[in-house]
Formats: sequence, C-alpha cells, structure tokens
Amino acid sequence: MNTAIRSGSPVLAPATSGFVLSAAITVVFNTALAWAKDANPALNDFMRRIGGHHWTTHGVVDLLVFAGLGILFTKTRAAEKIAPGRLTTVLIGAVAIAGLGLVLWYVFV
Amino acid sequence: MNTSSKDIILLAHAALGVTGSMGALWVFVEALSATSENARRIQTAALVAAVCMAAAWICGGYWYVHFYPADKALILKGPWPFAHNLFMETKEHLFFITGILAFLLPIATREKLYANPAARTLVLSVAGLIVVTGLAVEGAGAVIDHGVKVALQHDAPKGARP
Repeated sequence: MNTAIRSGSPVLAPATSGFVLSAAITVVFNTALAWAKDANPALNDFMRRIGGHHWTTHGVVDLLVFAGLGILFTKTRAAEKIAPGRLTTVLIGAVAIAGLGLVLWYVFV
Repeated sequence: MNTSSKDIILLAHAALGVTGSMGALWVFVEALSATSENARRIQTAALVAAVCMAAAWICGGYWYVHFYPADKALILKGPWPFAHNLFMETKEHLFFITGILAFLLPIATREKLYANPAARTLVLSVAGLIVVTGLAVEGAGAVIDHGVKVALQHDAPKGARP
C-alpha cells in the first residue's frame, strides 16, 4: 500500500515516513558531527585516516545513517506513529536548526 | 583555450548542483497542481534532482579533496579569509543536507500526491528545502571563488591589477 486513507486521515507509506524521519535525524546528526570534528582534532584526524579525508568519511557516515535508519524505520514502521503533518514539520525544523547551527558555529566558534 | 580537468570538474560540480536544484524546483511547481496525469513527470523530475545532486557530490568531493588545498592556502593569505573560514566550512557541510533531501525526494514522490494532501505538502516542503539550501550552497561557491580572485589580485604587482 503506497498511500492510503486510514480512518479518514491520509497516511504516508512506511518507506516514506521512515525515510522522512531518518532524513530529519541525519541532517541534525550531520551538524553535530561537523561541530564535533571542528572541536576535536583527534576525531577529525581519525576520520581522515578512515576515508583519506575527513569530509569523505563524514559524507559516507551521513549516507549510512540515512540509509540505515530509513530501512530500520521502514521495517519497524516506527515513523508511522507520527502524523504526516507533524513529520513534515519535524523535517523542516530539523533542516532549519541544522543549517543555522552550521552557520552560527562557523561565525562564532 | 587551456582548460584543465580541474576546471572541468569544478564547473561540472556547480552545473550539476544548479541542475539538481532546478529539478527540485520542477518538482515543486508540478506538485502545486498534482494530478494523476503529471505524477510520472514529478517522479522523473525528482529522479533528475537526486541523480544530479549525487553527481555534484562526487565531482565536488573529488575537487575539494584533490584541488582545494591550494585555493584554501591562497584564500587564507588573502583579504577574504572568511571565504574559507565561514563560507567553505559551512558549504561543505550544508551540501550534505541538500544531498540527503535530494535522495529523499524520489521516495516521497512515489506517493499519490493528487489524492494525499499530506504527501503533497511533504513533497512541496522537501523540494522547497532543496531549492533554498541548494542555492545557498551555490552562492557560497561564488564567494569562495571570489575569495581566490581577490587573494590573487592582492598578491599581484600594482601595475598588473585591473
């Protein structure tokens, strides 16, 4: 079932809601990892040694988190408990916080 | 014309990023009046956005890892060090957000947008976020490029400056 009207209210497919929640978590994780790398040279160096460059490792880790959580939330249907409208709000909020968090960090830190 | 692979990779990165953002804008416009007739077109546009962003990620990443260190050194010695310290540092991490959203778009557009207002709102939001963050990343790229330019002008002999 890709899209359905359940109990009169529209719902999202398990994969859609799962990957939306995963994206919201991943974008916040991405900013947190950028902060951690910048504040901790040992972590930056560790990530450089893994992927040849800290940025390469960062990107791969982001993709793994997005795909991993997306598959997990799809299989467990965990994100379906959240109303679609709220899920969209969570994603917009996560992107706004994560984006602003990056800008403010590099302005002030 | 003397064009190196470095130039081609950098220009491909920027061009693919803009094309990906335009793909997301295409999804946004189509989704505003989603019907069963344009469902396929919306999915195609979402795929275009995702593929272009993936290609922009690969080209930009290759250029950043292999060629950017020389530009970075120039920028930091020039009059616009913030082109690296603020704009590149933000851009290189903000791009991951744009990329993740671009990979989410083809999944979200599998929904029947014409029958599901919540899914339509979601797709409009994801596409809109890709356009906004994508253009911010493009703008940051222009500032970084100018940071190199002003650094070179700063170092050039006075008679050679425009």
